[in-house]
Amino acid sequence: MLPDQVYSPAEDSELLLRAALAEVRPADRVLEVGIGSGYVAAGLPGRAASVVATDINPHAVACARARGVEAVRTDLFAGLCGPFDLILFNPPYLPTLPEERLDDWLEYALDGGPTGRATIERFVADIGRVLSPFGRVLLLVSSLTGPDEVRELFARQGFVSFVVDEEALEDETLYVLRAMWDLCRMGA
Amino acid sequence: MRRNLMEILCCPVCKGELSLTVTEESGEEVLEGTLRCAACSVDYPISEGIPNLLPQTACED
Repeated sequence: MLPDQVYSPAEDSELLLRAALAEVRPADRVLEVGIGSGYVAAGLPGRAASVVATDINPHAVACARARGVEAVRTDLFAGLCGPFDLILFNPPYLPTLPEERLDDWLEYALDGGPTGRATIERFVADIGRVLSPFGRVLLLVSSLTGPDEVRELFARQGFVSFVVDEEALEDETLYVLRAMWDLCRMGA
Repeated sequence: MRRNLMEILCCPVCKGELSLTVTEESGEEVLEGTLRCAACSVDYPISEGIPNLLPQTACED
């Protein structure tokens, strides 16, 4: 049983795990940001050299550790220096107005601010600090989040990105974006 | 947390190195202790095996 204050695995978690299993290589040092219940990271042991996970929610990191995942409580990856070869993130991506906020731990898992991209913007702005030179990022986004706008955020930070997996749900489509350094532009 | 996690941890504020003090461990696992950022003069707790690297001003649960 998951505590009420931890995001339960849903279609988005399953889609991110599927993309991660297709992407991960045995030598990868993997970071999962915003681990929630630990569903994705717990599906990776034996497939990567190491897996570390973070969450700001104390219930989520406790839950992840109970599943045997090395967990660190921090905001995104603020307390980590890396480098990591594969970074996974199922972010809070739902456009949320201030009056719609729930003001509890679960809110951190869902609330993407008015555009749905508030947390994603912070993630993309700093991800280069912890990503290895040939590292890859898998980011889950929704059609509600504006995938093209998210790709534009990556481009502005010097990354190339494209959709590697998707799944249509009732009211939205989920996408996994894969981003890596645009090596042609490095040093330019 | 395992001791070798130290290699990839840093101060969440200044990104500087942390030094580990262990008060309880089990094999390679650090269960209780602190991570100190000397530059910021701040101690970050490790509790029940989980390092808490939230800035110390952040609201607690």
